[in-house]
Amino acid sequence: MLLCLLGLLALPAGAAGVQAGQAAPPLSLPLLSAGSPAVFTLASLQGKVVYLDFWASWCGPCRVSFPQLEQLRRELGPRGFEVLAVNVDEVEADALRFLQEVPVTYPVVRDATGETPRSYGIPGMPTGFLIDRSGVIRLVHQGYRKSDGAALRASIMEVLGE
Amino acid sequence: MASRPGDKHPALLALTSSALLLPAYQGVRADAPPEFIELGTRYSKYEEDNTQGSKTFGGSSQRYEVDAAQFHLLAPVLDSWAVAVDVQWEDMSGASPWFVGQSLDGGPKVIMSGASIEDTRTEVSVTTRYYYDRGNAGFNYVHSDEDDYESNAVALDGAFNSADGMTTYSAAISTSADDIEPTQGSVPTNTLKDNKDISSAWIGVSRIVSKNAIVRFGLAYTYRDGFLTDPYKKNDRRPSERNEWAFSTGYRQYFFWPDGALQADYRYFDDDWGVASHTLDLAWHQNLGERTQLIPFLRYYSQGEADFFANIADTDKRHYSDDYRLSSFGAVSGGLRVRHEIGNWALSAVGERYETDESWGVYSGQESPALVNYWRYSFGLDYIFR
Amino acid sequence: MKQLAIYLFVLLCLSGCETVQPWERGTLAKREMQWQPDPMETSLQAQVNSSKEASSGGQGAAGGGCGCN
Repeated sequence: MLLCLLGLLALPAGAAGVQAGQAAPPLSLPLLSAGSPAVFTLASLQGKVVYLDFWASWCGPCRVSFPQLEQLRRELGPRGFEVLAVNVDEVEADALRFLQEVPVTYPVVRDATGETPRSYGIPGMPTGFLIDRSGVIRLVHQGYRKSDGAALRASIMEVLGE
Repeated sequence: MASRPGDKHPALLALTSSALLLPAYQGVRADAPPEFIELGTRYSKYEEDNTQGSKTFGGSSQRYEVDAAQFHLLAPVLDSWAVAVDVQWEDMSGASPWFVGQSLDGGPKVIMSGASIEDTRTEVSVTTRYYYDRGNAGFNYVHSDEDDYESNAVALDGAFNSADGMTTYSAAISTSADDIEPTQGSVPTNTLKDNKDISSAWIGVSRIVSKNAIVRFGLAYTYRDGFLTDPYKKNDRRPSERNEWAFSTGYRQYFFWPDGALQADYRYFDDDWGVASHTLDLAWHQNLGERTQLIPFLRYYSQGEADFFANIADTDKRHYSDDYRLSSFGAVSGGLRVRHEIGNWALSAVGERYETDESWGVYSGQESPALVNYWRYSFGLDYIFR
Repeated sequence: MKQLAIYLFVLLCLSGCETVQPWERGTLAKREMQWQPDPMETSLQAQVNSSKEASSGGQGAAGGGCGCN
């Protein structure tokens, strides 16, 4: 009870999430596609610059981020940039319906258990992590506004250029 | 419809003028603007029952009828702003109670204003809202105009989330300046021209209880000052000040099996005119598949009479009123809302019945012969620009 | 007043101490879980009610708005 009282007055609770500069926790999740049992790992993308995006069908800003991330991937893919989206919907059908309305060509995996978002310490939805070629997190991007695409592009280019 | 957005929890309703509850639009998410432009329209018809023949001088009389149209536009602007415009037109006509008198057989009876009043009211409200990473702030202006009344109001409100996103705190203040110039002709009026000011403040907190439930608490204070009497009522002289308090609480819980949610809201109201009231709103939101919702709702309301209320008003007293709206009564209303989505469109319809009776309330007092019952229907069409 | 504040505080605490993580808030984003799923309907009802009853607010208030009869 006392803890809760204090919790109500909570000032920034210490971020339990992974921060820039830390290694990205490993990830091995099934792809979200009709009937495919294939498992996708973050390790398989070693050597590429990856934007790891945690999303859900109920997350409004994701409708803005998806087309922009798709665009970035088409443009910067040849230079070694990839997007990996992790869906956290409780109901898979909701995620599939979202993808029908906002289709993308980058890999989308699913974690309905909450383990992966927990290991990354997601502070809010959506959250994206920009991971460099050696698997280190360079940027934690929370939320998504319309103009974020441009800023993100600049960051990705910088990390690609290293 | 899969995504109504919500990475952080909805903020509480904040305080705005009576017709516009814009903070509700931001209530879906406290810290990011809507993604798409939304348009909404509603047409409503409101019809009061005729008065009871046994309680009206001259026998049963027709009462009030209103045709109303609402228009709503919500649009994101740039990265962090949203603008909302709401317009409301109302066409009102009918007779209303003029005063209550003692009839020969002993009981009080209402005398209706003979001629039918016809009036049109237009209200325009504009709100701009700024969103930052943990909350938002809004500014609202409302202008309302009709033959005998004009109102201008402004409001400021804000909301912010706790660090863990589990709690949202909100507050608002607003003030309005109203001018009254009663229409001459059908009944003698209590004033030729006057005004009143209303100010209020609100604070509230909304908290996530579990993955499926949320709760909120709120406290509002309102101060009215100026000409508060009803200009069209013969036996009406009210104080020139009124202090009001309202405590409210609400609860929402989703149930996975029936795919429905329970909505409950309660308000306790108290003022220095002696009026106190309880309001309980219940609704069950039943989903039928992905695109259709059926929402039966029920409301219970009970108010106690104002200190200076009396059916047969004592005009020697400093304040008096025989207006049924200040009498003691209970009101039960309920109905059904239906909503169906087709692509980016949404169709809706509402039917509601409202009835009052002195014995249904928890407070006791004189029963006004002019208690009102009504039917209300609304039809709506919305579009979202995905 | 102070008693009321403490009472509310306690109620608030009892109402949920276990944090619901951001990725677990999908249900709370549903339309039926909003405080006002249909703002136009809410505002119409609020206006009708405050014109025919002596109470107002609790959700919003000031702004005369009408020469209610």
